[in-house]
Amino acid sequence: MLEVERIRVSYGAAPAISEVSIRVGAGELACVVGPNGAGKTTLINALAGLHPIEAGALRLDGRDLSRLPRHAFCGEGIAVVPEGRRLFAGMSVRENLELGSYRRAARARRAASLERVCEVFPVLRERLEQPAGTLSGGQQQMLAIGRALMAQPRLLLLDEPSLGLAPAVVLAVFDVIREINAGGVAVLLVEQNAALALELAARAYVLEEGRIAAEGRPAELLAQAEIRRAYLG
Amino acid sequence: MALPSLTLLGQSLLSGLFIGALYGLLGLGLSLSWGMLRQINLAHFALAFLGAYLTYQLASVGMDPLATLALIVPFFFSLGALMHWLLARFSVSAFNSLLVSFGLTAIIEALIQWIWTADFRRMESGYGEVKFRVGSLYVALPELFTLAMALALSLLVWAWLRHTYAGKAMRAIAEDAPIAAAFGVDVRGLSLLLSGLCSAFAGVAGLCLALSYTLAPGQIYAWLGVVFAAVMLGGLGRPLGPLVAGIVIGVSEALTMAFTAPAWAPLVSFSLLIVVLLVRPGRI
Repeated sequence: MLEVERIRVSYGAAPAISEVSIRVGAGELACVVGPNGAGKTTLINALAGLHPIEAGALRLDGRDLSRLPRHAFCGEGIAVVPEGRRLFAGMSVRENLELGSYRRAARARRAASLERVCEVFPVLRERLEQPAGTLSGGQQQMLAIGRALMAQPRLLLLDEPSLGLAPAVVLAVFDVIREINAGGVAVLLVEQNAALALELAARAYVLEEGRIAAEGRPAELLAQAEIRRAYLG
Repeated sequence: MALPSLTLLGQSLLSGLFIGALYGLLGLGLSLSWGMLRQINLAHFALAFLGAYLTYQLASVGMDPLATLALIVPFFFSLGALMHWLLARFSVSAFNSLLVSFGLTAIIEALIQWIWTADFRRMESGYGEVKFRVGSLYVALPELFTLAMALALSLLVWAWLRHTYAGKAMRAIAEDAPIAAAFGVDVRGLSLLLSGLCSAFAGVAGLCLALSYTLAPGQIYAWLGVVFAAVMLGGLGRPLGPLVAGIVIGVSEALTMAFTAPAWAPLVSFSLLIVVLLVRPGRI
């Protein structure tokens, strides 16, 4: 479904990632693991349209998106839960969710999507009129996921959803991710917490210094001693 | 110190309210483009005066001053959108936008001086003479019109930002434009729209200036300090802020003038500003 072919993304003159190719099948959950600064966030941001792709192709169901204007990515069915959540902090929880369903096709199904998000995250229903900035870290992460779900994505990009959350909350968030994926949404997950990500994913990539260092099924990767040592301690 | 009479006090309050409305009207576009687009448009004042002179010109060839709105609004909307397009084209930062728009101010001032000379100009219209009597107080039509315009535009923008999809998207752009774009918001288009609106508000403020004041090119700078104070007091990007803060400043100035000497008036607005900056620095 998602085919990323040898893309290069740079900040200034220095390429942050180059020659990166990954695939996510329809309804599949894939993950990208790797150390800090390997370019994981750059990859997610490029796939979400947040950062221009310099070279290579980004295809969703065969359609090349790499030359589209940034606000067109969402309409193609991609929604992002960015690093650090990046909620509209001064706006209410409800308004954040409404903006998730900003594009016309999602707008038509807004009421149903809102109902579904509130079912998945009951805590948000109680706080719909509260400014997003006043939520706790875990609630903000739920809102960021909820906002992305409101866009009715076919592909959900998640950047470090476990960052800064208490262990119990992390497990709850990952349960939701599993559930979303089971509902037919393809997921690309970027995580520092490799153990958790590899347990969930059907396909995994190791990103090191802006390049794909290894790829395969999580079980295969875990069988390699060096990967175990580097990422699972 | 002699206490002023009740009539004088009432008249001061009223004139404070009206000049405050003009501060608010002048500040509305400035606050929105600063708070939401991070463009500090110093040229806003020059645009307002350009609007005032154009109104003056159109009125002098026989057009009704209020009817000039039909030309002023679309003209200034396009001008503002064009300016934003240029600033965005060259990715001008907030601080540099201050410098660029300062340069633009000088250009517009020179243009005004070239066309209309540095002489004082006063628009002749029937409206200036229309006065209503309320008890022992007088209210002039131009001032009432200014207040009505300031109220209507501020409330309309407020409702737009609060209750429409495009308005909410605009607020999202102000908070995090790339993420807004990632959810399908056309950041470029909406920013152009808002810049056009801000500039159109400058044009409307100019029309109100021409209705009530004698115009001279150097007057552009006379409004700068106090309107900036109103914009900062009101909170950047808040549509009702400049009007409320403008009226607070206007009324305090008027009361200061009634109780002491007129020369003390500017002290009030800036003291207010400094106090607010000290107490609530997070507003800026």
